[in-house]
Amino acid sequence: MTGTALLFLVLGLGLIGWIFGRARASGFVRKAKGGPRGTVNSLPYYHGWFVAICSVAPALLFMVIWQSLSPSLVTNMVLSAPIAAELPQDTFARAAILSEARAIAQGFQATAFQDMSDKLVPLYKGALSYYKWLGVAATLLLLFAGGAFAFTRLKPDFRARGKVERVIMFGLLLASLIAIITTLGIFASLIFESWRFFSMVSPFEFLFGTDWNPKSVVTPGADNGYGAIPLFWGTIFIGAIIAMVVAVPLGLMSAIFLTQYASSTVRKWMKPILEILAGVPTVVYGYFAALTVAPAVRDFAVMLGVSNAASDNALAAGIVMGVMIIPLVSSMSDDSIAAVPNAMRDGSLAMGATKSETIKQVLLPAALPGVVGGILLAVSRAIGETMIVVMAAGYTANLTANPFDTITTITVQIVALLTGDQDFGSPHTLAAFALGLALFITTFFLNYVALRVVKKYREAYE
Amino acid sequence: MNKAVIDPSPTDWNGHIMQKRIASRYAAERRFKAMGFFAVALSTLFLAFLLFTMLGQGLRGFQRTELAVEFDFPALTSGATAASVTGPNADAALNSMDIPGLVELAVGQQYAGLGDSLLTSTAAANVRQMLIDNPELVTSKQTLWLPADSRLDVAFKRQGEPAAEKTVAALSEKDALRTGFNWTFLTGADATDPSAVGIWAAFKGSLMTMAITLLLAFPVGVLAALYLEEYAPKNRLTDMIEVSINNLAAVPSIIFGLLGLAVFLTIFGLPRSSALVGGLTLALMTMPVIVIAGRNAVKSVPPSIREAALGIGASPVQVVFHHVLPLALPGILTGTIIGMARALGETAPLLMIGMRAFIPAAPEGFTDAATALPVQIYLWSDEVNQGFVEKTSAAIIVLLIFLLGMNALAIYLRNRFETRW
Repeated sequence: MTGTALLFLVLGLGLIGWIFGRARASGFVRKAKGGPRGTVNSLPYYHGWFVAICSVAPALLFMVIWQSLSPSLVTNMVLSAPIAAELPQDTFARAAILSEARAIAQGFQATAFQDMSDKLVPLYKGALSYYKWLGVAATLLLLFAGGAFAFTRLKPDFRARGKVERVIMFGLLLASLIAIITTLGIFASLIFESWRFFSMVSPFEFLFGTDWNPKSVVTPGADNGYGAIPLFWGTIFIGAIIAMVVAVPLGLMSAIFLTQYASSTVRKWMKPILEILAGVPTVVYGYFAALTVAPAVRDFAVMLGVSNAASDNALAAGIVMGVMIIPLVSSMSDDSIAAVPNAMRDGSLAMGATKSETIKQVLLPAALPGVVGGILLAVSRAIGETMIVVMAAGYTANLTANPFDTITTITVQIVALLTGDQDFGSPHTLAAFALGLALFITTFFLNYVALRVVKKYREAYE
Repeated sequence: MNKAVIDPSPTDWNGHIMQKRIASRYAAERRFKAMGFFAVALSTLFLAFLLFTMLGQGLRGFQRTELAVEFDFPALTSGATAASVTGPNADAALNSMDIPGLVELAVGQQYAGLGDSLLTSTAAANVRQMLIDNPELVTSKQTLWLPADSRLDVAFKRQGEPAAEKTVAALSEKDALRTGFNWTFLTGADATDPSAVGIWAAFKGSLMTMAITLLLAFPVGVLAALYLEEYAPKNRLTDMIEVSINNLAAVPSIIFGLLGLAVFLTIFGLPRSSALVGGLTLALMTMPVIVIAGRNAVKSVPPSIREAALGIGASPVQVVFHHVLPLALPGILTGTIIGMARALGETAPLLMIGMRAFIPAAPEGFTDAATALPVQIYLWSDEVNQGFVEKTSAAIIVLLIFLLGMNALAIYLRNRFETRW
């Protein structure tokens, strides 16, 4: 019996429990013909839910625990067999044989590469089925015990609704806690793997070194090519400088035009078009940047007389990223301009200022904190963007301010370090987590500041 | 003490200086407006340019070049009958016919001296399928149109390698080439040969990933939104939940990929590059989007409805599940579809958990190695072979159609069902 089948069996039995519980409570209602429900405390289906929850919840919980517990139990059982004494003492070789035998026994693998594995396969098969059936039996036992317990509790005056609602509230709280668990999970895994990385490579080299050429075998104390300064610079240059030079004027002017000048028909049509720009997947932008924009930029550079223009230049990636960010800047500016009290605008217009003078000298200064917050969010979005730079910018770390040259970014290097068949504990993999941590902290900080600025600004006019 | 000097004469609004100043102010006004228009127009033009580039290249990806090959089946198969290739023994009969050999022989006879690889690698499989679909073919002399090799395909559609161009010219003289609809592209899987690739495997992988994402993110997101809007007490824990959700919504997607790699693959040991892990990772990313949309939808349900329900004796849980949730559902669904559309286009986290492997067959289950549509686009874009350019754009067209469809559905739902209170 597979896990899925057992899951459906448990849920099906839960449904039967629900039906029985409800039927029993309906019986109470029929017997107690006083008022509309007689003296029965809760509606019949609450009784049904009570029985279903009492039977299914412990069984499901047990299944989850058993799923994580049984592999080690199976291994212990196999190791306790006399033939296991023939296993090599070396832990690595031992683990390889065990995992291979296990894979064959489960049917994931057809043939063994190690002779020893074949001998262990029947043992594994036996242990696996023994613990599987033990688990099934225990699950069903728990289910019936829970169901029976709940069923005996059902009485006309039993407060089934209160009990069920408490479970629902617990479920709601649990769902909300997943957000915290995810955040903690991200933080913990990044910190943990980065800590492992920094025990191999000194944080000083990582943060202040200017040579990025990661070696797969590190020697403590020596220069291992893990200086991330070129990556930090590349990320800032593409995401925070080139992209913003494109996105800020275009986004801000679009927002001004659409809110202050455009007729309502134009606005009705243009806003969704800008939203489409935001909805295009980044992989499409990346392909477009690599295929169309990058060659055009290189030709342009050659025309200008820049001899060493690369085909995977920073400018193409930055421009396309800027276009992707336009809708974000535009909508944030839109919101902040709309939040400026009308009295300020009317006052300026009444004094004889033209529309553009009002915008430039009254609306924009008043909306500035909101616009700046929006730009910070846009920067955070741009430096975390991956696919455009992976496809259009290069993989070579270069500490240069020449936009026609190849520049790499943090995200590109994370992708580059994690592709290829690397062992999880290798410095390459761990370096990706260290870069991820740097990215996470930066974007977290930017988002926090941006949200604070925007919030404070909104409050100022409320 | 300084006394302000006030010019007692009134401003001469119609004077030369004033008129000039006003003219320049109005010119500045027009310039500013033109700049705004220019910004909007530029963004629109960029979008139009992008879409036209993709369409221009991608539409060719749905077409394939076919080569006419004449099969003298009775002679080639030494008298096979329609009955022998149908029924339960059809497979054995077809195998014994050695179709790849037949194809090679037939092509060799007709197009001698034009190079040896005129047909794509799956041509023999196509012939086999044609025979299964229509066993009558085997009794007579037939001309079958078979997909041409990728080099010829590129050369026939546009500029290819010089050698291939020459072959195409020779074949065109014989009227042996035509353009047909590329069904393989919609039904096939990844391959090394661009004329044999298809997006079905990647598409199925995407669908399975999305199914997992929806299954996990939607209930959790809705329940969390209900808790935060309706029940959460004002305390430290609630503040922490709010900060986490706002932060998660803005975390770069690649970080979720790192989480998936460290937690789902390494700690939990779930199968690498499977739709299950992809769905789990994307669910964590989509959940905050649904929570934020859900909270706005729940917030917009007027308090009078809650008070009315409480007034006639509903419990707080009944108020929410019987009244607030059904009224907020259209708004929640709109947010969910938008979040799902974002997840469908997401590539980076899936690369991190190994969904970039070469997958030559559609995944059968949730734990099989799979790839997703955007990842497939990325993989094809990396190929050197010229034949992949149009396939990449064609896959992008499919992806964009789906995204636009989802967004249109969201807008429709919003307009159709959302109540303004």
